[in-house]
Parts: sequence; C-alpha cells; structure tokens
Amino acid sequence: MSTEVPESAVPPPAGADESSPAPSRRTFIATTTAVGGAVVAGGVIGGTSLLGQEEASAAGTVPSSRVSLTVNGARRTVTVDNRTSLLDLLREHFELTGSKKGCNAGACGACTVLVDGQRVNSCLTLAVRLEGVEVTTIEGLADGDQLHPLQQAFVDHDAFQCGYCTPGQIMSGVGCIKEGHTGSPQEIREWMSGNICRCGCYVKIVRAVEQTARGK
Amino acid sequence: MSPQPQAAVGAPLSRVDGPLKVTGKALYAAEFDVDGAVHAVIVDASIGRGRITSINTRDAERHPGVLRVISHRNAPKLPYRDNSGSNNPPGRRLRVFQDDRVLFHGQPVAVVVATTLEAAQHGASLVEVGYDAEQPSTDLHKGKPGKPTTYARGDADAGLSDADVRLDLTYQLARNHHNPMEPHATIARWDGNKVTVWDKTQWVVGTHDEIAAVFDLPADGVRVINPFVGGGFGSGLRCWPHTIVAAMAARETKRPVKLVLSRRQMYFGTGFRPSYEYRLRLGSDRRGRLSAAVHDIDAETSSYETFTEGVMVPGQMLYSMPHVSQAYRQVPLDVNSPIWMRGPGFASASFVIESAMDELAHKIGIDPIELRRRNEPSEDEGKNLPFSTRRLRECYTVGAREFGWNRRNPRPRSKRDGNWLVGMGMAAGVYDPGRFPAEARARLDADGTAVVESATSDMGPGTYTSQTQVAADALGLTMRTVTFRLGDSLYPQTGPHGGSATMASVGTAVVDACNQVRKQAIKLAVEDRESPLYGADAGDVVVRGGRLHVQGTPSRGETYRSLLARHNRSHLEARGSYTGPPTPERESYAAYNATFAEVAVDATLGLVRVRRMLGVYDAGRIISPKLADSQAIGGIVGGIGTALLEHTVTDHRDGRIVNANLADYLVPVNADVPQVRAIYLDGEDNSGNALGVKGLGEVVQVGVAAAIGNAVFNATGRRVRELPITAEALL
Repeated sequence: MSTEVPESAVPPPAGADESSPAPSRRTFIATTTAVGGAVVAGGVIGGTSLLGQEEASAAGTVPSSRVSLTVNGARRTVTVDNRTSLLDLLREHFELTGSKKGCNAGACGACTVLVDGQRVNSCLTLAVRLEGVEVTTIEGLADGDQLHPLQQAFVDHDAFQCGYCTPGQIMSGVGCIKEGHTGSPQEIREWMSGNICRCGCYVKIVRAVEQTARGK
Repeated sequence: MSPQPQAAVGAPLSRVDGPLKVTGKALYAAEFDVDGAVHAVIVDASIGRGRITSINTRDAERHPGVLRVISHRNAPKLPYRDNSGSNNPPGRRLRVFQDDRVLFHGQPVAVVVATTLEAAQHGASLVEVGYDAEQPSTDLHKGKPGKPTTYARGDADAGLSDADVRLDLTYQLARNHHNPMEPHATIARWDGNKVTVWDKTQWVVGTHDEIAAVFDLPADGVRVINPFVGGGFGSGLRCWPHTIVAAMAARETKRPVKLVLSRRQMYFGTGFRPSYEYRLRLGSDRRGRLSAAVHDIDAETSSYETFTEGVMVPGQMLYSMPHVSQAYRQVPLDVNSPIWMRGPGFASASFVIESAMDELAHKIGIDPIELRRRNEPSEDEGKNLPFSTRRLRECYTVGAREFGWNRRNPRPRSKRDGNWLVGMGMAAGVYDPGRFPAEARARLDADGTAVVESATSDMGPGTYTSQTQVAADALGLTMRTVTFRLGDSLYPQTGPHGGSATMASVGTAVVDACNQVRKQAIKLAVEDRESPLYGADAGDVVVRGGRLHVQGTPSRGETYRSLLARHNRSHLEARGSYTGPPTPERESYAAYNATFAEVAVDATLGLVRVRRMLGVYDAGRIISPKLADSQAIGGIVGGIGTALLEHTVTDHRDGRIVNANLADYLVPVNADVPQVRAIYLDGEDNSGNALGVKGLGEVVQVGVAAAIGNAVFNATGRRVRELPITAEALL
C-alpha cells in the first residue's frame, strides 16, 4: 500500500545549491567523511575534533540532495542535507520519534528500522542513499489499533522498563524472526545482541521473540 | 492498612504505559514538538585542567545555519544563587561559561546554536579553542584525600590483633557510568521571563529549583516537564550543566533550543559511580564468629564538589561484631562530580565485604552461607535499633534450595564442563531505602473516573502502573478508570525518583489523597437521606468498582456517579501527603537479598560466562509483581556489568576518558544474560509507611558482583579483588 503525500515541508538547508540536485563525488566523499568522523566520535566533535582542517572546510558548503523514499507506506520526497542520517531524518524532519538515538554510532541498536525489510541501524545510514527504498519504523508496525504480535508479546512479557530501547528491540526482533534466527533461546540471544537494553530485560525480550516466532 | 479490598495491588498486571512504549508514542525529553526549536551542540574542553586562552568562532559562525556561538567571552553573567537542595553536593557547583577555568576534560566551553542539527554539530567542530593546559590529577591512587568521615565502635585495632583469623584485603573498584539508553537532553523555551524546560530528569522538582536558582527566577518562573525517562539509574538525580546551557542559549537567541548530549558527552556531562580503593581488615575466631573489622575507604570526587554515598553503612550493620572502625575519604580529582548510581555505596561496599566473607569461609573451611548465619545480628549494631523486618536467613534458605546450592563443591576448581571451569557463589545484600516527603492530588470526576497527580518520575520501574494500582484500590476503582500523571513540576511536590524511595514516599501520599476522596464520598452518602447508604456507619462502607456499599451487604449501595450527580458535584478532590520517616528513627528499616551465581570460566582464555543467577529478596510488600520481577532481573543484569564488564578508563596524562562510547565501555548484551530468576519473599514491613513496602530498585543490584566474583573463585581458585573481573586477571 502506498499513499501519495505532499512533499515534505523540510526546507533545503541554507546555502544549498538548488541547481545541482546531486553532490559531486568529491564533496559527497568529503561530507561522508565528515559525518562518518562525527558519528564515530559519538556524534559531536568539540575541542577533540577527529577531523583534519581540510576535511572540515571541504564540508563547509552544505550540499543537499533530493531523495524519495517510502516511510511506513507513505511516499515522501525531501531535499535533505547530505550529512543527515536516516535516524535524524525520521526524528527531526518527519516527526517520527519512535526510532531512538542511543549512541549515534551503531553500537546500541536503539535506532533499528527496517529498510526494504532488512534491519539496519538508521543512525549509520545516510538519508541521501535511500532513493526508492521502503522504510518501516515502529510507528508503522501496528495495524491501526491492533498491535503487531511482537509488540503485544513485549507488553505481555514485560520485555521493557524505561521503553527507550524498545522500538529498536522490536524492529530488530521482527528482523530476527524474519531471518529465521529463532531456533533456540541461545540463537535469539546471539542475534538480538546488537540491541542494548540497559534496564536489563533480556530474559523477557528473548521470551517475547520466541513466542512470536512460534506463533507466526 | 486500608479497609478497602485490594484488587489491583499485588496483581501481576502489565504496564499501563506499555502500548505507548511499544508503538513509539511515548515522548521523551528531546521528542517534544516545540514550535521553532533550533539545535544546540556543546563544545567541550580538550584539556584536563587549565585556562582558555582563545576562542576562534569565525568559521563556526560563517557556517550556513549557525545562529550563535556562546562561550565565557560573550555569555551573560548568571546569578547562580546558592542552592543546597536539588541534590547539589557541598562545594561550589560548576558555572557554565562564567570564566576561563577548565576544571576537567570535557567541561562545556562553548555552545553552537544553529537552525539544523547538522549545522550545529558541524559548527561545534569548527570552534577553535586555545588553552593554557596544566597537568590534571585524575588518578585515585595519586590524589590527596580530604578529611575522613569516621565511625567506630569497640576497639577495632585491639580486636583485630586478638583475633584467631585475620584477613587484610585491598579492593579496587572501577568507575561505572550509568549509560541510560536515552541520552540526557533538554528543550528550553522562554516566554517573557518564564522558562519551560523539557528535560531528562529523575526529579522535575530538583531541576526546577536549580534553574530558578541559577537564573534567579521566582518559583513560578520555571516549569519542568518530563513524562518519560529513558532510563536513569541515578544519572538524572541532578540538574547538569547542559540543562543550564540550553536555557541560556534559548534566552540569548530568543528561540526555543533543543540540546541533546552525545553518548560521548554523557561520560563527563553527567555523573558516575565513583571508583574506590577499599582496604578491609577482618578478624574472627576459628569458628568464623567475627570480632573486628577496619575499613579504609577512598573514593574519587571532583575538585569543586564533595560527593558522598552510603558506602559505610553495610560495614556497620550487615554482620554482628563488637569492634568496627571506618574511615571514608573523598579524593578530589580533576574530574566532573560523581552521582549516585543504582545501589549507591551499598553495591560498592557489598562487593568488598561479601568477597571477604567468602575468603574467610574458605580459609576456615565452612560453608559461606553457614558463616553468614553465624554472624547474623539480632539488632542493627550501627544504629542500635531493632530491625523492623530482616529476613536474610529466609533468603539464604530459599535461595540455597531453589539454586541447588548443595550441588556446589566447596573445593575450588573441582567441576569441569569440557574446557570450562564451573563454579557457584553467593552473597548477601542490603539497602537502606530513602524515604522523602511527598504530596499527591486525587480528583474523582462525576463520570466515575479519577486522575491522580504527583511530580514524581518513571525511569522504568513502572511508577505509572504501580501508583495507578495503589490509587485504584484506595478509591475503589478499576485500573482502567484511574489515570496517574507525573513528570511536571506543576504537580504536587515530591523528593527525587531514586534511592528506592518512590513507592514508600509517593505511594503513601497517593493512598492518603485517595483515601480522603473516598471518605468524602462516603460521608456524602451516609448523610444523604436519598442514598441507600443513609445512616450507615462510614467505617463500614467500602468501594469496589466505583460502587459504594456496606461491607458484607453488597446490595446496599450506589455508585460514585449517581452520588455525585445527585449532589451536583463535578468532582471530589483531595491532597495527600507523606511526611517522611519518623524522627528519630525507632527501627532499622532496610531491604535485603541473597544472590546466587553460577559461572563458567574458560580454562585457557580466562573468559567468564554467567550461566545462571538467582536473587531472593526481603523487600516488603510487592505492589506490582510482574514489574518487580523485571526490576530484579534488571538489577542482576546491571550487577553482571559491574562484575565483569564496566570500567570507565581515563588517560591520566590529559584526563580524557578513552572509552566514552558504547562500543568500548562494555555493558551486558543479550548474549551475556542466559538464565536469571527472582524470588520475592511474601510479607510486608509496616514500620515506616502504610503500604508495607521496602523499595526494590537498589537492593536488587547489591551483592550481585560479589556473588559472581565468589563463583569465579569457586570455579578457578583465583581470587580477583578488582572490578571488573576481566580475562586478563584470570590468565
């Protein structure tokens, strides 16, 4: 199912060159390096910059790109700062804050979404490379008021406490079940270990995934 | 106890906020859609101590989208009124952008405000800061300790020298960071001279008071909102500098500002469990009766504040002995200030004491549980008070039976499973829960539903659910017809959501408010000639499912709805309170546990894997069993982290934390946690609150690390007196 929606109201960043829809290879690499460096350092570079001065200034012109993607069934076309991650696109521009930022470095899994059915860390995925893909976030999992079986299993097993890692755990669990990595609790534990739960609900997360996998 | 039937309390209910959390609709601090909000990113100091000599903001300010760069060069002077509340420790709190001093690596030195997150992040990387760097002191072992806090009973030195058996053990405990999954975040918006702050905090009241003090605002000039807390474990117990930075940036730019700490910034932008060096000398007779203990405890604190926690308490009251002396010294270092972390002080002390007890048991050749039984006190020898309840013996009995303790071979290194050495260990735990004055407001509406409000928090234990349970029973309503609201400084005031205090404190206030509302309704009914309850003794009327009736005669009664409609009342309302524990204390009130661990250690590689764990708790009455089970399991998982993984590493050359991320600071993941089980002893403790609770959140983590360490010894014969216990120590 796909719903046409008006183009997102996200404004192009100031200074973006509207006439060149795609960044040049050089600036793309430069900005990717810059974003990659920032991501590795935990998202924010302060006085301890990992960036060389050259890279930093190369990224100064803020190139942007148009990208069309489907999010939870709705087609969206946006002009996006090339530095924007899928996670920030969802949270800061699409008001889909269900996907969480825990580490911004691919270490915690709180940002897990499905891209074309595969679970990915949206914090490590640049939005500009997602032309034509289908993204499913936690907001798109339930069927109206009817929770997805794994969402219901999380509630039934009390597989969360603070709830912050929960959307990522559930999206990762949906992926895990789809991949068939649910043959035993031990296998589930291994394949769900990319998602940290600091409240320590792992025992119950495994039960919820196991039960849902059996019932599918 | 209330005469009301208890239908919700004690029932294994699912979380009332569960559907919001599993659909991504629960809104955390950074997720509020505040119109016109811009983004702020902090530039942090890249030296460990010294002065800022220059700040070049030219490139940052020219970066597209950057609105403003604020540093001590152009920041407004802030009043920073004294505030001994808000969990500020004694000292002089860090003042953001007020001078050129750098007190620790990572201290905020500037903030970049921009229209987009990307521009703010990149802008922050373009700020060039020059420093006059000094050598920081960040090593606990090389710092100069301050004046000790001491405790003594008997003559510990003499007791020790007279003892048949003596142990002299020194333990090193690593610094731990809370690392809640939700990074700390603030959105600040000024409307004239009033500021609204959406802030990740475990205490909206404390943050409210601190912002009012820093900006010298009247109480009604600040509102703090935080309905969901994505984990805390203590990190949200204070208002940290970034919250002030966000509010300052919003005022300076005249725009709402959103500021989210990066994971890296969490390591110096919020507090931590301090590292310890703890020397314990223990003396006993040949049968294991303890006679004396000397505790020398050094812990890190910052150069500007003196942080303390309850690390001395277990050594005074966990076991019976005539002679104890303790000296607890804070070592000021060029680091940011610590803050309480789950089981604060008690978790650290318990690793030491419970590891030492295991060593003593091994040395004199008796079972570790039997050793503990022989030293079980009949009263709290630290406070000289009787115990309200202390059921540690039952914890041992139930735990030993359920865990299969009799299958443990006391001889270390005696059980193998292939290349794995397998061992079992146990430890006792205690936590003295906090209890704070608290208030709550209950309102019963004409449609028969109720709203209860209190300015507490829910960082994960399930405050929303458990408070709804106690409110529903006190009002005689179903869970579905009661809404509990929290996380807004406009609600009735409470103490912090921490120290296992929330149910005893807020819960008592909630019950008080709800009891008053119920009694108002009953009074209306029994004095109303038109009511079927007219003339009944108010004390005989109970409410169930929103219907008042005479106890034992369900047919004689009416609903809240009909009663309020007939009286033309839109609602009934009352404010309830809890005034805190009795002073002076008349009883020693604490929660206890016995925790059991089975581990396997790779004989070649030294890799430690937890196989199964069990905790047995004497925690008073359990309000919400399903959620309490999760909390206990989570506490054990946290303890596995402290025992085997968690270690904040500082480069002492420049004070930089080198593993300030979740790839290098290891926390337990799913594969680290196979079987974990929790058992709560049935019972209640009515010494300090009407609910009979003792608090769960802390005690479930106390003793876990020692149980694991003792299991590692039983498996390998190697005694590791350093946390975390890593493969290197076992090779």
